[in-house]
Amino acid sequence: MDVAVLVFLAILFPTLASVTNMAYRNNPNLRDSVTFVCAILAFACILGILNIVGSGISEEIVLTEVFEGLDIAFRVEPLGLLFAMVASGLWGITHVYAIGYMRGNNEKNHPRFFACFSIAIAAAVGIAFSANMLTLFLFYELLTVSTYPLVAHKGNAKAVYGARVYLAVLIGTSVALLLTAVIWTYTLTGTLDFVQGGILAGKVEGRIVPILLGLYAFGIGKAALMPFHKWLPSAMVAPTPVSALLHAVAVVKAGVFTMLKVGVYIFGIELLADTGASEWLMWVAAYSIITASIVAIMHDNLKRRLAYSTVSQLGYITLGMALATKMGILGGGLHIAMHALGKITLFMCAGAIYVATRKTEISQMTGLGQTMPVTFAAFGIGALSIIGLPPLGGSWSKWALIVGAADAGQLIAIFALMLSSILNVAYLLPVVAKGAFLKSDDNPCKGVREAPLFCCLPPAITAVGCLALFFWGGMLLDFLQPVVGDGHG
Amino acid sequence: MIDFIPPFLAYIAGALLIPFLPKGHGRSAALCIVPVVGAALMWPLPMGSYGQIGVMGLELTLLRIDKLSIIFGVIFSLAAFLAMLYAWHIRDTIQQSAALLYSGSAIGAVFCGDLISLFFFWEGTAIASVFLIWARGTTGAYFTGMRYLVVQVASGVILIAGAGLFYTETGSITFDRMQLGSLATWLIFLAFGIKCAFPLLHNWLQDAYPAATVTGTVVLSAFTTKLAVYALARSFPGTELLIYIGAIMTLFPIFYAVIENDLRRVLAYSLNNQLGFMVVGVGIGTELALNGTAAHAFAHILYKALLFMSVGAVLFRTGTAKGSELGGLYKTMPLTMIFCLVGAASISAFPLFSGFVSKALILSAAGKAEYHIVWAILLFASAGVFHHSGIKIPYFAFFAHDSGLRPKEAPWNMLLAMGLTAFVCIAIGCYPHPLYALLPYEVKYDPYTATHVINQLQLLMFSALAFTVLMRAGLYPPELKSVNLDTDWLYRRAGPAVFARVAQAVSGGWGGTTDFVRRCCDVMVAILYRAHGPDGRIARVRPTGAMVIWIAILLLAVMLVSFM
Amino acid sequence: MADHKTDPAKLPWLGRKLLFLDRPKNITLVVYAIYALCALLLLMEFVYTKHPYFGLEKIFGFYGWYGFVMCALLVICARAMRVVLIRSESYYAPGDVESEPYPEDGLDRSTIDD
Repeated sequence: MDVAVLVFLAILFPTLASVTNMAYRNNPNLRDSVTFVCAILAFACILGILNIVGSGISEEIVLTEVFEGLDIAFRVEPLGLLFAMVASGLWGITHVYAIGYMRGNNEKNHPRFFACFSIAIAAAVGIAFSANMLTLFLFYELLTVSTYPLVAHKGNAKAVYGARVYLAVLIGTSVALLLTAVIWTYTLTGTLDFVQGGILAGKVEGRIVPILLGLYAFGIGKAALMPFHKWLPSAMVAPTPVSALLHAVAVVKAGVFTMLKVGVYIFGIELLADTGASEWLMWVAAYSIITASIVAIMHDNLKRRLAYSTVSQLGYITLGMALATKMGILGGGLHIAMHALGKITLFMCAGAIYVATRKTEISQMTGLGQTMPVTFAAFGIGALSIIGLPPLGGSWSKWALIVGAADAGQLIAIFALMLSSILNVAYLLPVVAKGAFLKSDDNPCKGVREAPLFCCLPPAITAVGCLALFFWGGMLLDFLQPVVGDGHG
Repeated sequence: MIDFIPPFLAYIAGALLIPFLPKGHGRSAALCIVPVVGAALMWPLPMGSYGQIGVMGLELTLLRIDKLSIIFGVIFSLAAFLAMLYAWHIRDTIQQSAALLYSGSAIGAVFCGDLISLFFFWEGTAIASVFLIWARGTTGAYFTGMRYLVVQVASGVILIAGAGLFYTETGSITFDRMQLGSLATWLIFLAFGIKCAFPLLHNWLQDAYPAATVTGTVVLSAFTTKLAVYALARSFPGTELLIYIGAIMTLFPIFYAVIENDLRRVLAYSLNNQLGFMVVGVGIGTELALNGTAAHAFAHILYKALLFMSVGAVLFRTGTAKGSELGGLYKTMPLTMIFCLVGAASISAFPLFSGFVSKALILSAAGKAEYHIVWAILLFASAGVFHHSGIKIPYFAFFAHDSGLRPKEAPWNMLLAMGLTAFVCIAIGCYPHPLYALLPYEVKYDPYTATHVINQLQLLMFSALAFTVLMRAGLYPPELKSVNLDTDWLYRRAGPAVFARVAQAVSGGWGGTTDFVRRCCDVMVAILYRAHGPDGRIARVRPTGAMVIWIAILLLAVMLVSFM
Repeated sequence: MADHKTDPAKLPWLGRKLLFLDRPKNITLVVYAIYALCALLLLMEFVYTKHPYFGLEKIFGFYGWYGFVMCALLVICARAMRVVLIRSESYYAPGDVESEPYPEDGLDRSTIDD
């Protein structure tokens, strides 16, 4: 099949799933199985694209021309393909999990939930394959809007407040800053296409570069760069499958993915490296990494702790872009996949614990590991991958980022990465250790059983995925290589 | 066709299979077989490098066989076997798998030939070993495990940072001889130093080893620190700084050992002191000295394991390892007592015991290289180690005042493991040639000269005399239920206090910024709501969804731009 | 387990043989044996040739007095250190590993068949 058809189908299947969910609102089993089939098909389309394009770059697929030089268009390239694979591949797994979670928790409004969920995936795939900043921006906003009902799903005052913060920050930053940056870029260059080596090179100079970069960096609110991170912890009021797929994978990764795209294809790493325009961003990212980790330690609520951990980990990817070295970019790209698998595992485990025990605070989870061994083992593996320890995927992206930082001569970035690893140990592993090895006085294990199969199998699968990514790390890096041109270093 | 299998794979395969075997003797036997298989995979391979893998443009070497790695490979396999035998009665899957993964990682680290693989195995030892501490299942052990893990992971990330800088500087990641100088090599040195328990970086060792399970401590004592010694011997032989670091390492722990109550902690201090000898050997860096380091590591792993095993057996039977609670156990645990004495004699370097033939190499290397003061310190440390490990441990556990405890003799598997270890200790002491043949360089040294034997006996017997005299005079510090402040005070008392302040300030600043942003958002939402809400101006004119507005704004902006 | 009056018949064979160490008189004998051994080792100074690395080693009975003096100093210094360093067992935390007993069920004694 043609790449264009496959890209179209990859976006169509999630949309279709959304429609089915609304159409068959009274037949939950049919609804959920059709969605699952759509998820499999969407993933198959993306694998098909991978099969045809490989790590090359496809032709532009123009849907419609808005203005001279402004198209709604798609183009497949390795970074986007990786993001699309991660988002759609994890969709199927999360869907299984979401069925277990939503039913196990007796949540309401399943059709709306799953419909919005599917639209969000369609938007994420759209972002991944966007050929220019305009297309990306449209899908970016679609993603924000489609996830709003998911955050507000519970419908109580707390959920509505959280969702309001979520919408305000994401829409606010994207309109006030990102749109400005996009328009500014267009006036400077006359194009918004993603071009190897960047479109701004030779068009801007001096102080404009860091300012424009700042507009982009803070405008991409989904990257949760300090101080525009608050939406992420706020969004934790959403049901856990949403936190797992959207706020650990699709939405936040859309943010940092856009960040990388802007760095590589709008500015170009040579421009950033030559002008030193991104050095301040590296400092901000490093600060974001460390501070968010410290804040994470202070939180006893597991999901909030994971949310701050995500803020910190997104900083890794922004840091990789800000380093403006090839290895930095590649490390950032790798970390999209590595962190996605690790963090989705952690969130799904947090949800599984909630389904089985209704416990949300870490201090209440002492001793639970003895009765929920699968969940806690998966959590442990995910945690080790986030920390960046072998034999798990996270260790490769950490290595690539460290080499990238060394290439850029930025010792402060290396220090931030080191310190963050240690802080990660301090806030992630106590959950496992207390759960598995300590006995609790009030005996929370009484009457607790392992979470339902639908809830504990998906995290086990993604945990195995973290392990597999360790052995595929080199392959993934080679796959991303064309993004920064050929050759290593 | 693969004509070799890296030994660590045997351990990993074992660790993965163990949970599927039924608990019992069969599983315990399987645990003991794994190290044998590992050794069998390693032994027949000729010298050279195998298993190069290209990843990310880096060349990883999984298996590098040379004289230095072989001797550590052999002793690690032997130690793993003995520890598994000692833990025959354990039925805890987590401990069993962790012990296998831990020893496998250590063996993998010894044989790997590049810094990346080293980092992987380095962290592997850290993660696997912490389960041996947590498995004790108490609050204290949980916190100790966390502290231990943070320190070990820190060592790993410092190593990987050093390796990254090293790679950028030199374009190579070979794990071989380096010169201290650049930041990269200093970081790598520091990473090794943390695991090697350099002075001021040492306290994780005394913290963790007494906290682990009975069998866990035996496993722990063998690998982590000796792996660090191996790494130093591989990368930094002849670095003069190491001589002084090593000398201080031999010196200060013996003072702590004298006043420490927990006997397993006494052993941890004496372990630290013995590491000092090896570090001095690496620092001197002559062939004789490096031979001494390798030989001493070999002998040390065995006698230290033996001592931990015997104190562990006491702990197993009585439930305590505190000097203040024990005494008079020789009546009911005579075999354990005898094995303990063999370990004590070996660590004290009595003639005919293993320490005698290995420590002598380092001391004479220091003498030949004319390091007067270091030599005198090492001699003092030798006397001191006899004092606390050789006399204090057996004396307070098995003799001293009768505690009234009448435990049973240690179980058969512990006795068998201790017996085998004791046998090897004596065998090495009586007939050192096979050990000498394993050493990295040719050995032209005979430990059994009249001078050496008499001098060593004089040193030891007069130390014993000092102990006797002080004991009889009532000057010897009694065993008291207590803890002694060490550098852990810095991170257990001072550190948390400082961190709490900093964290408070940081989260205050964080809260401030986020509040500001949130207030901005609230204002923005309010404005938007006024415009687009149900009663807003825009809502009155035409139906809106958020999507439409943004697209409209976008189009407007684009139009403005194109007309400009 | 804690009965001070031991019935020798219940002890293992080796333990019975070592019971002589229970009598203070015999302990004194052991101490005298150590004195005698030390004296003997000092006399050995006359029967071998030294191969010293340093001048210090040529002093009569160097290893003997060095071992004695240093060990005595070691103990005295450690005693002095203890005055400054000693803390109660629960100084760091009430459940600190040193102050907590080993959990009985964690010893796996039940898995031993003897």
